[in-house]
Amino acid sequence: MKPASFDYYRPSSVSGAVQALADSPFAKVLAGGQSLIPAMNFRLATPPMLVDIARLEDLHGVEVDEHEVTIGAGVTQRHVEMSTRVAEVMPALAEALRWVGHIQTRNRGTVCGSLAHADPSGELPALAINTDADLTVEGPNGIREVPAPDFIRGPFWTDLRPGELITSIRFPVAPRGTTTRVAEIAHRSGDFATVGLVASLTRDGRTIRRARLCGFAVAGTPIRLRSVEGLLPGVEQLDETAGRTLADAAAADLEDPVGDIHATGQYRREALAALVVRTVRSMLEDPQREAS
Amino acid sequence: MERQDHDSPSAQVDIEVTINGERFRNRVPARLLLSDFIRDVAGLTGTHVGCEHGVCGACTVIVDGDAARSCSLLAVQVDGCTIRTVEDLATDGGLCPMQQAFHENLALQCGFCTPGFLMTLESVDPQDFADADDLFALLSGHLCRCTGYQNIIKAVASVWNEAIEPHGGRFQS
Amino acid sequence: MAVEEIPQISPIIRHRTSHLGRAVPRREDRSALLGQSQYVADIRLPGMVEVAFVRSGEPHALIRSIDTSPAEQIEGVVKVVTAHDLDGVEQFPHFIEYNQPVDQFPLARDRVRYVGSPYAAVVAMDRYVAEDAVNLVAAATDFEPLPTVTTIDQALAEDAPLLYEGWPDNRLTTALIENPAVDRAFEEADHTFSETYTSQRQTGLPIETRGVVAALREGQLTVWTSNQSPHIARTTIALVLGVPEPEVRVIAPAMGGGFGPKCHVYPEEIVVPWLAMTLNRPVRWVEDRAEHLVSSVHARDQRHDVEIAYDDDGTIRGIRVHSIGNVGSGEIFMPGTAPTFVTGGSISGAYELPNIEIQTTCVVTNKTPSGAYRGFGIPEAALVRERIIDRVALLTGVDRVELRRRLVLREDQLPFRMPAGGIVDSGSHARSFERGLEMAEPLLTDARERYADDPDVRVGIGYANYVEPTAPTYHLTTGFWAGYDSATLRVDGDGKARVSLGLAAIGQGAETTAASVVAEALSLQPSDVTVVMGDTERSPYGLGAWGSRGAIVMSGSILMAADRLLEKARRIAAHMLEAGDEDIVQDVVLRDGFFFVEEDPDQRVGWPEVATAAWARTVDLPEGMEPGLESSGYYDPSDLEHTADEAGRLNAAATWANGTHIAIVSVRLSTGEIKIEDYVVVHDCGRMLHPGLVEGQVHGGVAQGIAGSLYEHLQYDSDTARPQFASFLEYLVPTCAEIPKLTLDHFESYAPHMPLGVKGAGEGGTIGGPAAITGAVSDALAEFGVFVTATPITPVTIRAALRPTGSGEAS
Repeated sequence: MKPASFDYYRPSSVSGAVQALADSPFAKVLAGGQSLIPAMNFRLATPPMLVDIARLEDLHGVEVDEHEVTIGAGVTQRHVEMSTRVAEVMPALAEALRWVGHIQTRNRGTVCGSLAHADPSGELPALAINTDADLTVEGPNGIREVPAPDFIRGPFWTDLRPGELITSIRFPVAPRGTTTRVAEIAHRSGDFATVGLVASLTRDGRTIRRARLCGFAVAGTPIRLRSVEGLLPGVEQLDETAGRTLADAAAADLEDPVGDIHATGQYRREALAALVVRTVRSMLEDPQREAS
Repeated sequence: MERQDHDSPSAQVDIEVTINGERFRNRVPARLLLSDFIRDVAGLTGTHVGCEHGVCGACTVIVDGDAARSCSLLAVQVDGCTIRTVEDLATDGGLCPMQQAFHENLALQCGFCTPGFLMTLESVDPQDFADADDLFALLSGHLCRCTGYQNIIKAVASVWNEAIEPHGGRFQS
Repeated sequence: MAVEEIPQISPIIRHRTSHLGRAVPRREDRSALLGQSQYVADIRLPGMVEVAFVRSGEPHALIRSIDTSPAEQIEGVVKVVTAHDLDGVEQFPHFIEYNQPVDQFPLARDRVRYVGSPYAAVVAMDRYVAEDAVNLVAAATDFEPLPTVTTIDQALAEDAPLLYEGWPDNRLTTALIENPAVDRAFEEADHTFSETYTSQRQTGLPIETRGVVAALREGQLTVWTSNQSPHIARTTIALVLGVPEPEVRVIAPAMGGGFGPKCHVYPEEIVVPWLAMTLNRPVRWVEDRAEHLVSSVHARDQRHDVEIAYDDDGTIRGIRVHSIGNVGSGEIFMPGTAPTFVTGGSISGAYELPNIEIQTTCVVTNKTPSGAYRGFGIPEAALVRERIIDRVALLTGVDRVELRRRLVLREDQLPFRMPAGGIVDSGSHARSFERGLEMAEPLLTDARERYADDPDVRVGIGYANYVEPTAPTYHLTTGFWAGYDSATLRVDGDGKARVSLGLAAIGQGAETTAASVVAEALSLQPSDVTVVMGDTERSPYGLGAWGSRGAIVMSGSILMAADRLLEKARRIAAHMLEAGDEDIVQDVVLRDGFFFVEEDPDQRVGWPEVATAAWARTVDLPEGMEPGLESSGYYDPSDLEHTADEAGRLNAAATWANGTHIAIVSVRLSTGEIKIEDYVVVHDCGRMLHPGLVEGQVHGGVAQGIAGSLYEHLQYDSDTARPQFASFLEYLVPTCAEIPKLTLDHFESYAPHMPLGVKGAGEGGTIGGPAAITGAVSDALAEFGVFVTATPITPVTIRAALRPTGSGEAS
């Protein structure tokens, strides 16, 4: 389990990276490498060149203001997780990051790298979609902004075009009164989720005003649960009947669940529905957590 | 040997890495994994390789203060970095407190996974871990096949509880 | 500790120290903690080259051609070999008469029968280049795919594709022991019931993979290999390579776990030495994890078709079990048939279940060969047995605990002859069960309270009582070796002892225990004892570390050797004390390291004087005495049988440990999530030489039992026989977050015929898990009519079981 040979390149600027990626169409960006290097060890990935962006100072920024959190492509997951500034403004990010891999991998893995990897069972793509994050992408034709829902195209498939790399991701800060939870069913601690959910509820007192929910590890991409979101505004508590309605809506939102060796599609649909009800109910019972 | 500054793509790279206080300057294949650099180039075989895909944790070392899987890093990625391995834990031939606790609590059997556990534990501050679940989250990045983790948890609790509250800590053993 | 109770193998060991029965820190730890232990992968030799194997990606195919030339042209590639290059290499021997012969060559010759089968090897300057070349060889291999067989049903189908030409079908072995009493029981019983229980394919999975280093040193072929039986490996290597056995030295260095898979002798252990001889330079191969998952043996892939005859009052009148093992391609030495036989022989466990008819079949399929894994068929048997009892309880309305109380062995029944022949000489079966119940009760109450307010959660409890055959015969498994082991003991001139053992150290702490036993036997301190293991040049022939035998055979052989050595030492001491009066030999005692006569304790000589006389100042020896102070013991457990009687019965183990496992689980109905809330173990392995090591064995064993119940599963696509696992992302080894804090207690029912009263402890922890956990989950879900018959139990299988019939897909 050793990588195939490749050329290593550590450019001194983002434009240098873009140039190299444009010149070598099958080159891969190396940031933390926590998904890429294992894939290369299995020779599932055999890029002819790696462009190492981890040391580009321009990509190391974490900017936090009252409206958004912007994270550069060189910033590790653990750095964001431990940032008190991020935790104040956007606790959802730290909440989601706790579920990503293990501390030992978060020390090296980057937030933007998770997006670029686009693993359907990854927490960060789901959070990005659920919060309408925007990715900043730089390529031979300049810089463009891509909303996360458009960026994640399929399993391990993104909107990145030849020569492009993610330079940062921008998470908008949720409205006041929003709480976010990540919930997962995984066979083992720290495993990729078998069924995952990101749920954000914005409440006014006890009443839900706005709901954003995104299931992940259940389909080729994280999917927003639009019917569930439609049912929740106005809700204060979830009795048994309401719970059943919500579960049915969640099951209906998941049109085409994936089946694999870990779980059947039918299981994923049922478990996602249960996870939605359980999570929403638990959030409603926890009035303390009303920070954004 | 002229130093390769990585400013043009190359399959061979010059790197400079400090491991346990000793500086290594080598030209290595770009594809050389850090685990193999530590074991084969630096000759430090206390870092074990158990899965080479970042799951089992046996190869965990400390890179610039943070625990990391050496099988999931290229040696060139740590160019200029400072690495610590299990060989760096003991002082003057004496076991460090965590090693001593592993010994006293029979927290190792075959010993193959042990260096990885020790390096993760060495890299963190017990104060950052609130309770047993936090400890499980930290150690769940390591597989042990011999101990059922019982005595490992016991060993860690004994050291960390002492570090946190001398009179009875919060980590159950 | 009452000395009288301790059975003594040696009447002359009259002294008694206190080195046994204490959880002293291990002598193995220091080097491991410092990162200084030397595992196979840590061996570096000048000029060493690396090997990588080319493994079949086809489950079943003819090899039409292999073009090695593209690989040979890569810079850094030293050599590429295929089966046809292996001059002088024989096939692995056929030792087992009851099996169909499988012609296994170290590299597949013209046909591959599983994904992972090695058919070529590349030698290169480093592993990276070797893997480059492996890919080229694989790409240049022309396979002609053959129809595949994955499942037991497929293997047994009338028109099944055959794996081996010349066999009538895909049965590697089949045996039926008929029992007329069973037929009568079925005629007379109130009711009968039939059901099928299955356990899934798993593997022992040491965290250190396998590895082999070979070099010619001073004309001797030296092989370092991560093998639990270095002497058996040496014999096999010599046999297959056609090299005189004295010219082969096998060293098993520090081992990163064994658990069974490293009991076998694998193709790589032949090919790597052959390459070292052919190239005349050191060669190394270290298995990677992807290889390990397909090339090291699998286990536990069994199905059991069961018929039960029972009465309304819960009496189990008779049981018919057909155990069918799916043993993969069968291309492994030694073959993987024995565990399925052991399953059949272990069905009755710690219970009085008289009328059992056992049929055993092993079928070959296009999966990785299966073989040894901790538990060796016994966890599967426990699953079958405890499911049968729970099923009868359910059918008759008799309480599950009450039914077990009626059946579990009582001390007044011992020694007890099990239906399959095992003689349970001692134990605490009923007491252990009662103690387990007592320990579990408050835990169950707490668990129920924790979830009392959650309508989505159900809590359940499950039970298993087992006996563990320890120090078993190896004859059934190998068709060749049997059951002894060895020790050579020497006291040097400085009075320090050195013991070398046929056993191997696999992480179980055998060195620490051996030093304690020697210290006990010779009245020394453990720190005065050097222990040598795992090197065929430095230790006597022995069979190695498997079958929970270490404590028994090591103690036995050390005590025999000590007995002989002491006899001579006392004669020397007597001579030194009384200047030649041989009559006082009988009166010489050894205490605190000194020899003296009770009446005159001031006159004494110590080990240094005695040993110096033996080795150096031989002028101090009695006239005519041969110099030297060294002896060997070859301990062959006396009660152990190696072949079955006419009724198919066999006492296959030297002695039988026992235990009770009780699992308390919670199950979440909506998602099927399972949590082990508590796990109780009452364990009895006779006298504990080192309680800490025994507990460690239980801890690790239980974790593996839990793993097999809930997590680990080597899945194959049943249409194509292709593995659906390649990494730890598919093969789910539990972490510390999955294993609950265990609740343990011990009894010590000394084995009456064993040295020091010990029984083995290596596997018991593994045995009860699947049985107790399936029982607990079934109990939790009883109101829904769920009765679990297969492992692993996962959220997916739970949900499938809870769905109204017909609506769900099978899982």
